[in-house]
Amino acid sequence: MNDAVGGRWATLDRIVSIEPGTRAVALRNVPNTLAIFDTHFPRFPVLPGVLILGSLGALAGELLRQERGGRWELRAAARVGFRHFVQPGDQLELAVELSEQSEAGAVLKGEAKVDGRVVTRARELRMARIAS
Amino acid sequence: MRFHLIDRVEEWEPARSVRARKVTSYSEDYWEEVDGQPIVPPPFLFEALCQAGTWLIMNTTDRRKRAALLSVDSVSWLGHVTPGAVLEMVGTVDSFGEERAILSGHVTADGVTVLEASEIMCALIDADDLASADETERLQTMINRAGD
Repeated sequence: MNDAVGGRWATLDRIVSIEPGTRAVALRNVPNTLAIFDTHFPRFPVLPGVLILGSLGALAGELLRQERGGRWELRAAARVGFRHFVQPGDQLELAVELSEQSEAGAVLKGEAKVDGRVVTRARELRMARIAS
Repeated sequence: MRFHLIDRVEEWEPARSVRARKVTSYSEDYWEEVDGQPIVPPPFLFEALCQAGTWLIMNTTDRRKRAALLSVDSVSWLGHVTPGAVLEMVGTVDSFGEERAILSGHVTADGVTVLEASEIMCALIDADDLASADETERLQTMINRAGD
């Protein structure tokens, strides 16, 4: 398994499980050392929601890559809710589930939890294959 | 890195609209590589539009409030952005209340649309809870100088 999926921003620290064609689960840790917390925000550090969405996209891409090969990119997201702040010390459990797929694309739904509580939910993650 | 993705607010109308700018440079330290080419991490493009909305809220409320992202109805990424590009974030308010605001908009890179988003809903929270008033005022002065 590749533990560096998602890179520095749409980070996935560990892939927990991948069921090709069905779903995938991964972890992202949120340490207090992240420089982003200096400015986001000085008095109240919060992991930007856009980065959680990025991690869900990276996990969706990894699920598709393992089943179908190539490289996949998040092209669109719809009906995304950010319900709770994610702060230093939290561990995000990210899960994506395949809803539909075609030759060039796929639609998944995704969810991020901290301690079992949903913090972010994306009803639609639209992925496109960008390399074979 | 400093997560300040707006360099200037070029134009704004209270509680109505905002147009903001960010220049990108290879000297920044956020680049990620795709097919051997550095690109702006796609989540940053969305964040830049959200931050343009935040500055509109701060300008409109005289720095009393800023925004926390609650939801987005849809967001689409239409292209990659490479070093040297000049980003323009354009946001239009769909609704603006005491507690919440909803904004739709797009981001262009050198005039080409690279992101579109509709109905970005944010909570208006007390700015003092997030950052010191002095620092926010200093930044606001810098960022608004183009619109003076």
